[in-house]
Order: sequence, then structure tokens, then C-alpha cells
Amino acid sequence: METIEVHTPPGLLKSSLNVLRSGKKPAGPVESLPEVTYVIPRTTVDGAHLDKYRKVCGFTAAQGVPLIYPQMLTFPLVMQFMASKHCPWPGLGTVHLANTVEQYEALHCGDVVRVEVSSGDLIAHDKGQIFTLKLRIFRGDTLIWRATQSLLRMAVSNPRGTIYASSLDADLPLSRQVDFEACASIGRRYGRVSGDINPIHLSAMSAKLFGFRRAIAHGMWTKARALAILLPDHPVDEACATVEFKTPLFLPGVASLWTHGNHDSKTFELRDALGQKPHLRGQLCIG
Amino acid sequence: MTTIRRVAIIGGNRIPFARSNGVYAQSSNQEMLTAALQGLIDRFELQGERLGEVAGGAVMKHPRDFNLVRESVLSTTLSRQTPAFDLQQACGTGLEACMVVANKIALGHIDCGIGCGVDTTSDAPISLNEKMRRILLDVNAAKTTGQRLSNLLRLRPGMLLKPEFPRNVEPRTGLSMGEHAELMAKEWAISREEQDQLALKSHHNSARAYEEGFYTDLMTSFNGLNQDNNLRADLSIEKLRSLKPAFDKKVAPNQGTLTAGNSTPLTDGASSVLLASEEWAKARNLPVLAYLTFSEVAAVDFFEQKEGLLMAPAYAVPRMLKRAGLSLQDFDFYEIHEAFAAQVLCTMKAWEDETFCKERLGLAQALGKIDRAKLNVNGSSLAAGHPFAATGGRVVANLAKLLDQKGAGRGLISICAASGQGVVAILEKAGE
Repeated sequence: METIEVHTPPGLLKSSLNVLRSGKKPAGPVESLPEVTYVIPRTTVDGAHLDKYRKVCGFTAAQGVPLIYPQMLTFPLVMQFMASKHCPWPGLGTVHLANTVEQYEALHCGDVVRVEVSSGDLIAHDKGQIFTLKLRIFRGDTLIWRATQSLLRMAVSNPRGTIYASSLDADLPLSRQVDFEACASIGRRYGRVSGDINPIHLSAMSAKLFGFRRAIAHGMWTKARALAILLPDHPVDEACATVEFKTPLFLPGVASLWTHGNHDSKTFELRDALGQKPHLRGQLCIG
Repeated sequence: MTTIRRVAIIGGNRIPFARSNGVYAQSSNQEMLTAALQGLIDRFELQGERLGEVAGGAVMKHPRDFNLVRESVLSTTLSRQTPAFDLQQACGTGLEACMVVANKIALGHIDCGIGCGVDTTSDAPISLNEKMRRILLDVNAAKTTGQRLSNLLRLRPGMLLKPEFPRNVEPRTGLSMGEHAELMAKEWAISREEQDQLALKSHHNSARAYEEGFYTDLMTSFNGLNQDNNLRADLSIEKLRSLKPAFDKKVAPNQGTLTAGNSTPLTDGASSVLLASEEWAKARNLPVLAYLTFSEVAAVDFFEQKEGLLMAPAYAVPRMLKRAGLSLQDFDFYEIHEAFAAQVLCTMKAWEDETFCKERLGLAQALGKIDRAKLNVNGSSLAAGHPFAATGGRVVANLAKLLDQKGAGRGLISICAASGQGVVAILEKAGE
């Protein structure tokens, strides 16, 4: 396992350009992933940044550090991986298919943590091939948070790896809980906070260049927005939230949140305003 | 001193219930109650008869309607010598009216009577702005023209634009009925899906009963309506799931489970029930549908001890069962008024809960489960709608007819009411 320590991650624009430049790689099936871990040995959970994140996603201060927030800390490393020779495919055209975050202990503002992003597994999917990234956060020697990003390269024939299986129950009856608006500027606002300035999220014009009729909301924003509604109004310790992204949420747009379950375990879906087309489906477990 | 007599239920009549601000928007309480009473009088050929007493009421009433029931009786073809009086116990009004009449019959004070109820949320009383009302009272009390004028000068045009509308709110908590029911659903962990399924069943049961003609001799059409217009025979579970919570903002933000689909809508309507001694019925060759044998009323402390606002029936039923020497399972039909699907589900869950039954009801063990196949078999308020004071009459007439159709059996009625009250009763029919 190769370990690469990153002490000063490249600036936002530079790393984004690096990812754009990674487009020369072949798009065929990948036999194996290089074993590599990118590490930020020391970083601090920044209250000012957290406030901006809360505001753009709809979390309240009473909810503490939301269990999805730590993924923000991993973003520079993910970008570096995507731009590197280790990433099997070009950054552009790789679709965020699923995301699971598991928290073992709550994080607090001012915590000093170690952040790791490692290459994960290859998985064969109906629509192409998936590779996963394993994200981990340690406080001292304790693993307090980890996540799995599943990234899909469409139209890869003969994909290698284990066959993809959804961990979500597809049969539970969901009922409508609440609607919310995703305004036209949300892609730009979340982009500024998260560092993910993929042009497909920023404006209708820039999204059109990449084949979308309008800008689409960041997948992780839609997940965060849903969790802001679903999480209780107090901090949680142990919790887990899995989502599969289904279809893009075009901006501006109205989404409806559909749920099933109780306070400890909820299955949910974000759908369009009519409640017919799902944008994402997920599960939240607390405790 | 007379011996206590059995009280027979001869039959009932109501007008179809209509969603608020719709078909009956221009109809007053008196018009609707008169129509329900006249239908009953015609069905049982009581024209010109002097009945022992007519008791009934309305929850939403104009001050001018202080003698609503007597005025309605005067508008029917009953003998003008039939006495009547108004009473009010929120949603328990209709059943309480039947119980009051029944008790007089049981004691031999009267031989026959009618229990009835009516409500309109469309033709609702609107009060003057409170400040304006005070000023007008001062004007009225003024002794000199000068005083009168100076008081009149205190009036402001804005006061006319801010009248007081009646609200469905508990004065001691400031919470609406729906918000209280949402709190109960939270306390008893009643899921959204359970509530939607119960609502669906209510509509389907009611639609089936209409198809079978069950309601034909329980209703007279009014304003062109011949069926409850809240009923959705084609309702689907998907439609119910697609409705957003309606009462969550204050009490369970983003966690709400009560929707417009699994809560009763505001409704207009009227109902009436004819009760009599067996001798009176026999003398007129009127068959007896069933007998009203037991009743009980309970109330809970919903603001200091924080018992669920609509949980009083859970307390009333076991007390009544004890007096009757029955268990909760000794019934062929259960008519639990569906103010909210959550109210019905909370009540049943409470009766199944060992801790609740021991600690709050003081019983040795849980009352246990009821057979859901016997619950609201021909639909209830979620489908029919719920004109507050008219619900009791609807339920009594339905259950009496169900028992008569079955030939013999026993039915339980449970109705929750505002301000933490519950009115319950037992109807029975003995086999020949």
C-alpha cells in the first residue's frame, strides 16, 4: 500500500483543473485498482466553515456537527486522487452512484483529526463499472468516522469485480413528509463551501457544455439537505446514512422528501415535485 | 319509584355529511337539524305525536340559536307540545344526548324521545373584534349622549376587518386538536403508514356499505346530496401516502404523521336517533333494532399531567366494562370514532399496553387486543366526515342496525371529545 501525505492541498482551482486535465485516460474496464492512501495527517474542524455548510444545507446549530459534514474534510484528497495516475478513469463523466457515511463518535468544532482516502474495490454494475473510495477520519488513534464513495463509469463493457447489490430495501411504503426548494444558485453556493466546482452544478450555461439541459444539484447537497430534515434537533453519536443517487435534481427545482420508519431507522427518498421520479433513495440509522 | 326499563333504539336518521364550505355552506344548523328530524319523523310516522323529549345540540352555535333543538322541533311535524333542550359536550354531544334521553326512558320519566346533534363549520358564528365589542358594550351602558359619543369615537375602521373566527384550538394549551393528536401519535409511536391504512379501510368499508344499501334507511337526502361527499370510493394508499403532514409544524417539525387524509375534515351535517321503552315501541308495532345498555363518560388531565387530549375513551371503556362485567373482547362490533386515525390507533395500543393499563387505568393486566375485522365495519368518520355533534347519532344508528342485521350481539361505542373528554356506550341485542 502506497501512502501519500498531503500537507498543503492544492488550491481549489488548481485541483479542479487537474481533474479536468485527467481526461486522457482510456475508458475501458479496469482489471485492478492500485493500492494507495492519501493522508492529511492533521487538520482542524473549522467552526466558520461548518457554519457556512450548515447554512447552505439547512442544518441547525443544535444538530451539532452533522454526520455528513466530515466528508468535506476528505474532499481535497478525493480531488487529488481523481487527478492522479491512480484514478482509473477521467474525472469527467464519472458518476457519483452511492455514498455511505458511518459515524462512531460525534465530531466537534476545534477537533484535530487525521483524514485518509484510500482506493477501495472494483464492482461490476449493469450500467458500467464502479470503483469505491474509502474515506476515514481518526481522532487520535480512534477511527471515529468512515465513508464509502461509489463512483460509476458508464458504458464500460465486461466490467470486472463483484456484482453490485443495493443494500437498501426497495419495497418499504414511503409517504410524503415535506417539500423543499432547490434554488438556482444552490449549485454555486454549495460549490463554494464544498470546493466541488464541477461546471455541471454551477449554471445552466456551463451545464449545457457538458450535456445537461440545466444545472444539477450536487448529489452530496441533496443528501445533506435530506439529512438536515431527517436528523433530530440534537447531536447524535453513532449513526449511519446510506444513499443511492438515482436521477439528477435540476436547478431551480422543487423536491419532495418521502419517508418510512421511526426515529432510529428511516428509509427515505427524495423525489420530484410530483412525487414520481426519485432523485435519491437512502437509509438513516441512529444509535 | 319505578323499576329500570330497557331502552330500545328504534332507528336513526341523518342527512348526508358534507365537507365544509361546500353543498351545505348556505344551510344553518336549524335547517339541517330540522331535515334530519323530519326524516326520522316520516320514517316512523310520528307526525303530530307528542314525544317525551328531544335532546341535542351543536358545538358551533350562533348566540341566537340558544334554543336550537326546540326551534328545530317546532319546524317539524311533531306535536308542538314536544319539549326539547340543548346540551353540548363537544364531539360527545350526539352520544350524550342519546344517553340523557335513554336514562329518562329507563327511569320511566318519559316513554320515548330523540337524541340528536348538528354542526356546521361553514355557517360558523363570527364574533366582533374583542376591543370593538367592549366599546359597543360601553356605548350601550352609557347614560348620556356625550358619553355615548366619546365611546363611539374609540371605534376604529380596522376593528371591522379583524373579527374573531372560531378556532379548533384547546384554550388551555393553545394547540389545535390535530396538534394534540400528533403528540399522541408521537407518544404511542404510531406510524404514518398505519394511519393511512386505517383511513383507506374506513373509505373502502363505507363505500361497500353504500353499495350494499346499508345507509338507505338511515339517511334522507338534503340539498341534492344523498351520500357523504367526503367519501372517496376510489381512494388508494398511494394517494394517502402522497399527502404532506398537516399538524407537525409546532409539535413535531418534519416528523409529522397526521395528514388531511388520515384526519377528519371539517364537516357539516345532522343526525338523530329515536329511543323508546319497549312498551311504546310495541304499541306502535315498531321493531327494536338494539338496546342501549351501558354508558360512561371520562375525562383526562391533558395539560398538567399531559395525558393525550383524546385518550379519555381509553379510561372510560374499562370502567364501563367493569360495571357491565364484560371483557374488551366480548363484542361483535367496535365503533371507535375516527377523529383522527391516530386517535383510534393510540386507544387500541393503550388497551394492549400492560404498563398503561396497570399504572394509568389501575387494572391488573392489559385489556388486550380487539379483532380489527370487527372495527368500524361500515366505515367511520374518516370516510363519512365529522360534523362534531352529529357524529354520535350517526354511530348509534349504524351500530343498532348492524346488531339488528346480525340478529344478536353486542357493540361498543367510543367517542373522544375536545377538552380531554370521552363518551362511550354499549349497545346490545339479545337473540330471540
